[in-house]
Amino acid sequence: MENSGGNCAPMVGNEELVPEFWYNIIPDLPVPLSPPRDPPDGDFSRIDLLNEILPREILRQQFTVERYLKIPEELREKYILIGRPTPLIRAIGLEKALNTPAKIYFKYEGYTPTGSHKINTALAQSYFALNEGVDHVVTETGAGQWGTAVSFAASLFDMKSTIFMVKVSYEQKPMRKILMNLYGGNVYPSPSNLTEYGLNILKEKPDHPGSLGIAMSEAIEYALKNKLRYLVGSVLDVAILHQSIIGLETMKQLEMIGENADILIGCVGGGSNFGGFSYPFIGNKIGEEYIAVGSEEIPKFSKGEYKYDFADSAGLLPLVKMITLGHNYVPPPIYSGGLRYHGVAPTLSILIKQGIVKWKEYNEKEIFEAAKLFMRTQGIVPAPESSHAIRAVIEKALELKKNNEKKTIVFNLSGHGLLDLTNYDSMSRRVVS
Amino acid sequence: MNCLVCYMTLGYPNADTFEEFIEKSQKFGCDILEVGIPTNNAKYDGPVIKSSYKKVIKINLEEELEKLSFLIKKPTLALTYLEDHINNLEEFLKMLKKNNFSGILMPDLIIDYIDDYKKFHEFVKRNELNDVMFVSPTVPDKILQEVSNYSDIFLYYGIRPTTGIPIPISPDVLVKRVRPLVNNKLIVGFGLSNEDIKSVIKAGADGIAIGTAFIKKIDSEGLESSLNLVKELRGILDEAK
Ligand SMILES: Cc1ncc(COP(=O)(O)O)c(C=O)c1O
Repeated sequence: MENSGGNCAPMVGNEELVPEFWYNIIPDLPVPLSPPRDPPDGDFSRIDLLNEILPREILRQQFTVERYLKIPEELREKYILIGRPTPLIRAIGLEKALNTPAKIYFKYEGYTPTGSHKINTALAQSYFALNEGVDHVVTETGAGQWGTAVSFAASLFDMKSTIFMVKVSYEQKPMRKILMNLYGGNVYPSPSNLTEYGLNILKEKPDHPGSLGIAMSEAIEYALKNKLRYLVGSVLDVAILHQSIIGLETMKQLEMIGENADILIGCVGGGSNFGGFSYPFIGNKIGEEYIAVGSEEIPKFSKGEYKYDFADSAGLLPLVKMITLGHNYVPPPIYSGGLRYHGVAPTLSILIKQGIVKWKEYNEKEIFEAAKLFMRTQGIVPAPESSHAIRAVIEKALELKKNNEKKTIVFNLSGHGLLDLTNYDSMSRRVVS
Repeated sequence: MNCLVCYMTLGYPNADTFEEFIEKSQKFGCDILEVGIPTNNAKYDGPVIKSSYKKVIKINLEEELEKLSFLIKKPTLALTYLEDHINNLEEFLKMLKKNNFSGILMPDLIIDYIDDYKKFHEFVKRNELNDVMFVSPTVPDKILQEVSNYSDIFLYYGIRPTTGIPIPISPDVLVKRVRPLVNNKLIVGFGLSNEDIKSVIKAGADGIAIGTAFIKKIDSEGLESSLNLVKELRGILDEAK
């Protein structure tokens, strides 16, 4: 095979760059990961519940810790079908605008059909559900990125999908709902009348706007009742395992062009795109600085506590030890739906507590400025979530400029924001710059 | 020879049955006894062991341990959480020592006290007890290797996130990953089925630890069945490899 990438960045890549193994950082962490737990006074075992709702192979992967796990060939073919490897692009426009000596590269997960990294684990989880003979998967979605990924993944394997979408989002973001329907997903506004849980809420308050916790409770009840499989979008180790495909591809792409990553940056909702992107580097001790970026409006890095807490706002999943604002914390309805999560994935929490990964938090104005600069210099509309990473990249590049350091920054552009234009529009009206 | 470690909650389900289980399991092929100290905070135990603790939480610890001391013939370990004794560890260790225990196994030592585990280890040794360490698959390789050198008698490897819930895992994969890292006897436990037992021994484990299964047998079919299970497990271990 000839060298198809060579030095002709910004875009490199071919099918052989899609890894054959996923990478799990747990064996390479600095301290042991605490096990998931059931609440001491719980009325049922959450760990046992996982047993009933997740595809068995997903649970096996979650708890059979191996450094490298083979990606089944059939699944790898689907990764290629959706356009993997996703491009690694040099952000020459941004570099020029900042007049920085630093080189900036970004891994573009918005290149996938559903527009974000979420498809990487949606495909894997759907595949393993189908493998055990289940032809219908269920999940919840807030802003819609995850639901979109699941709808398409299911259709790609000829499966049905049912998505419980938080009612306010369903009403305010009809585009996402339309897209999920076009992909073949059945989308219901939550609270719905399909579950006991939803019915009870509707009885009390027919115009309840819904929440992610309610949508999740409905999805789990629906999966249990109909013996379907429930898919998890982030936070669990297994979701990050599947996302490691991002970082593994990036490593090979950098190697092809003879480049070394010094600084790696990504945004954090639950931690799956950041972990998937950075863990192969961290575990292999490549790079000198890793920066996880959150939103100032959901200050989990600055104000969160490291303790056992429910992995989900509904309290149906086991307790995991993580940096958290508490599962009862109600995130404000910010412009960046994917970051509205109360905690930080347990592995990432450890890396932050140990000082291996640094964190930053930015507010709406800061990320809006960053997003605009990126759009005007690179043309891509970043997902508002990803704009948090861009803000950190810009700050870092300017810092390197001040010290005249020629380092290489690589960041994960977790998704595009073409379906978030109304979000950006309302930002431009809120933010007076 | 493959080692059989048998667990029972202290005084479960009542004093007589417990004592008979201890006496006879040692005759029927148990190599090492592991006795669970009842607690309200069984943070890493599954529902079966948790509810066994609840049932006997009111026993008089000192009296029960003393009665037990006369029955001990094989090396006996106390299974207990460090968190429960963090303020009176010495006193507790002395009580174990006085009652013929040969060591202690604290499932939260490596997970919750990783920065201080060597200090606690020294402390246990100074009280003339063995300190058997507990690790899980989420313990990183580097730490596993180090801990296995410190652990007395054997290293306890709990391969499921909790006891008594049939989480689907690949026991052989989990054992093969750690076997080359462990310079010590490797005893595998947590929810092992008969199939699991054969596969972990084949993958290089030196023995197994069983607990929940005995409690379930006592609850459902009585003491005799649980003792039959001891014999059956002995048979499986003797045949394996
Ligand atoms: C584009 C995008 N980026 C980032 C996130 C944050 O999630 P995670 O931290 O799991 O990657 C989301 C979540 O919906 C998302 O849609």
